[in-house]
Amino acid sequence: MPELGRAALVITLGLSVYALVAGAAAATLGRRRLAHSARNALIGAFASTVVASVVLAVAFVRDDFSLTYVADHSNRSLGGVYKLSAFWGGQEGSLLLWLLILTGYSALAVWLNRRRARDLVVWVVPVLAGICVGFSWLLVAVASPFAVQAAPLDGAGLNPSLQNPYMMSHPPFLYLGYVGLAVPFAFAMGALLSGRTDERWIVATRRWTLLAWTALGIGQLLGAHWAYVEVGWGGYYAWDPVENAALMPFLAATAFLHSVMIQEKRGMLKVWNVVLVSLAFCLSLFGTFLTRSGVVNSIHSFTQSDIGPWFLAFIIVAVVVATALILWRLPLLRSTTRLESLVSREAVFLYNNLLLVALCLTILWGVAWPILSEAVRGQSVVVGRPYYDFFLRIFGLPLLLLMGAGPLIAWRRASWRGLLRTFAWPGGIAVGTGIVLLALGAGSSIPGLIAYTFSAFVLAAIALEFVRGTRARRALSSESWPVALASLMGRNRRRYGGYVVHAAVVLLALGIAGSSAYDSVTEGKLAPGQSLAVADYRLTYQKLTERDTDHATEVRALVAVQRGGKDLGTVEAGKNSYKIAGPDPQVSSEVGIRTNYATGEDLFVIAEQVNDNGTVYFRVFVKPLVNLIWLAGLVFLFGSVIALWPDAREERRLAVRYGEAGSPAPSR
Amino acid sequence: MARKRSPARLVIALSIAAVLAVFLLYTSIAGGGTPSVKPSEVRSQTGTVSVAGLVVGPVTGDAYAGGLRFKLRDIKGDSPETVAVLYKGSVPDLFKIGRHIVVDGELKNGTFVASPGSMVTKCPSKYTAVKPPA
Amino acid sequence: MTAALVLGGVLAVACVILVALPFLREPDPASDDLHALTAAERDRLRLAEERDRALAALKELEADHRAGRVDDTDYRASLGPLRREAAEALAALDPAGPATRQGQPPP
Repeated sequence: MPELGRAALVITLGLSVYALVAGAAAATLGRRRLAHSARNALIGAFASTVVASVVLAVAFVRDDFSLTYVADHSNRSLGGVYKLSAFWGGQEGSLLLWLLILTGYSALAVWLNRRRARDLVVWVVPVLAGICVGFSWLLVAVASPFAVQAAPLDGAGLNPSLQNPYMMSHPPFLYLGYVGLAVPFAFAMGALLSGRTDERWIVATRRWTLLAWTALGIGQLLGAHWAYVEVGWGGYYAWDPVENAALMPFLAATAFLHSVMIQEKRGMLKVWNVVLVSLAFCLSLFGTFLTRSGVVNSIHSFTQSDIGPWFLAFIIVAVVVATALILWRLPLLRSTTRLESLVSREAVFLYNNLLLVALCLTILWGVAWPILSEAVRGQSVVVGRPYYDFFLRIFGLPLLLLMGAGPLIAWRRASWRGLLRTFAWPGGIAVGTGIVLLALGAGSSIPGLIAYTFSAFVLAAIALEFVRGTRARRALSSESWPVALASLMGRNRRRYGGYVVHAAVVLLALGIAGSSAYDSVTEGKLAPGQSLAVADYRLTYQKLTERDTDHATEVRALVAVQRGGKDLGTVEAGKNSYKIAGPDPQVSSEVGIRTNYATGEDLFVIAEQVNDNGTVYFRVFVKPLVNLIWLAGLVFLFGSVIALWPDAREERRLAVRYGEAGSPAPSR
Repeated sequence: MARKRSPARLVIALSIAAVLAVFLLYTSIAGGGTPSVKPSEVRSQTGTVSVAGLVVGPVTGDAYAGGLRFKLRDIKGDSPETVAVLYKGSVPDLFKIGRHIVVDGELKNGTFVASPGSMVTKCPSKYTAVKPPA
Repeated sequence: MTAALVLGGVLAVACVILVALPFLREPDPASDDLHALTAAERDRLRLAEERDRALAALKELEADHRAGRVDDTDYRASLGPLRREAAEALAALDPAGPATRQGQPPP
């Protein structure tokens, strides 16, 4: 069957090349049937990639170790679901997943738009096809998942720390995000190529961008949660280059989501939007490059792989093509409207963009500098946490404030008097909160206090928006409060969905601030019966248990937890020694987490070292508010769904504007 | 109608200048990252560096008590020179002789005294299609 | 092995057919031209977007005022210019269509 897989990938490559060449020819020469044919080729490319993927998936399920890739990442005893997730457990498989999602998105995008904006879509096809050519070439010629060998008796298995539901779902979500950014990018390039300076490309890809951005956000949170519970060093984000690889396109995409609103409302920032979407996509290529090649010495990626140089080439091509197209069409993209006032919602969005891009670029520098330093000076460096923490605060805290201020400021020009009025309540609540927190001792961390105060401001501003909106709606329709709220949100999905997402970001900020600025840590070696104290908890080490399973020997230290004299049950922490054939007996740390659902606080217990004499060296954290981070993920998803929800009235209005789908010409 | 020059360009220019200023200020104070060196180069360095090396035995002591002692040598084994390391703090589960690790610290009296908790192991991860070193 | 060969062959053939489909369906079409936007159409689109923007801004001002985000003074100050913009945008998009009015002043 691997021959079928290989053949299917060759077919995908062929179809992609055809779609690229025929599509470009059809667009240049204006040939309708050829354009249709190129479109079909993209759809065919998806079909053949599905075939290749099914072949690989089946090989995993059937333990076909004649495929080197299957043998390297799975074994007979691996649980069913994890066998499937081993598909993307290695380089070749994850590239195939990338291609699968890419061809899937491409096919869907061109099919959904088959009757609309034909002059635009005819150029989108070759751009998407070009990206498909790149990835399918890698899979055919450089890193094939279908390499065969003499089948060993059993495979190498999947790293036990990856056998975790969060780690299983983390790559697919991330890829849905990374790859999703290719669609707005392709439409932007299509707009430049076709010379269309209107917003059609933005309107067509609004939901794509939102979907990709949401997937990228959820994917990162899944990864962070995995790091927190499974890797267990006590944190959820280490500013590792591979983690930053996903954060950078996410920040660029966030900036883009906001700046397109300005283009929509005021017709400004056309060049900026095209630049941003190109940046977001190139960063997502760069992110894949960082993770896949051994170019950065991070904990995760050490393999010096063959695909590194190819990826670099793709990124360079993408950057050069995008830059060339933008420069070529620059005269067309000049907007006529100007920023009227530095105190207006447009201005706030502009500041938000500047901060987001600044943060993104500082992270990029932090990732790239070690590589550049080694290449240019021959001296490698390590950029550590303090660098990232500093810039996160410098740029992130003002961003947090702007998130609350933005919705309160009017478009075009806001009067100072008007500002004073709208800011009064949220500002007052924020100041009050700050004073109360200061009294409660939050002054131990100034950035933490600022984060909390700004968060109060934003939450108050969001609440105010909901209250005002619902009240206005009720004045019109005399519905009850819940019904008015629902219909308000239904009629303004993007706005109120956006507010819910902002609330999620506030929760995230609170969770991060609480767990990093106000955490406590204690460590010490305990013999059975001994205790240690951390924050207001008291932990008593009771005994050591050992359990033997098929996969591992599990050693756990049982610890009793008390707070304020009250007994809170027990927590277990320890180590697993995995019974894996090979020179490296794998040991993983299994942490014990006790969550206080009322306060969102976690008691995080690590058994650093289990000694033969039964003593255990413990490291215990108390992390306030950390669970708000995970809650933020759910709220984020909820808000995105609201914003994404199809709006029939808006669709009709847009159809009229673009005179498509047989709608009548605009009239009085 | 008097046409006001768009303040947008000014704002953007000033912001970029501000960001660059902050950035340069930070890096000039806090440094442009910790130099990453090989164990054979440690003796020629001063200040805090990050060492990436291969763990060589014997491994003695307790990282959680008096300190873990071991030696590091170059990963790409040109030089047989090793540097003695004293480490306190969290030891990653994968630590053992023959493992590649990264640790920050400073050379003091011939021993590389590591910053507590700064050890990170490099492990042959899931992404390897086991490629022999070039 | 043969199963793989057969399936691979079927896939290849299916894809070739898919790609050739537009030509097979219309071997001799009246027009094979892909309609690219004319300058007039681009103009019309630009004006339509301006009109929609102006109308949306007005609608948003009304909603903001009703909800209390914009007070009476600011509302009155903004209303005039926005109304003027909307009127201009609507006038530019005359129902007769831009084709009849290219460069011509309104009658």
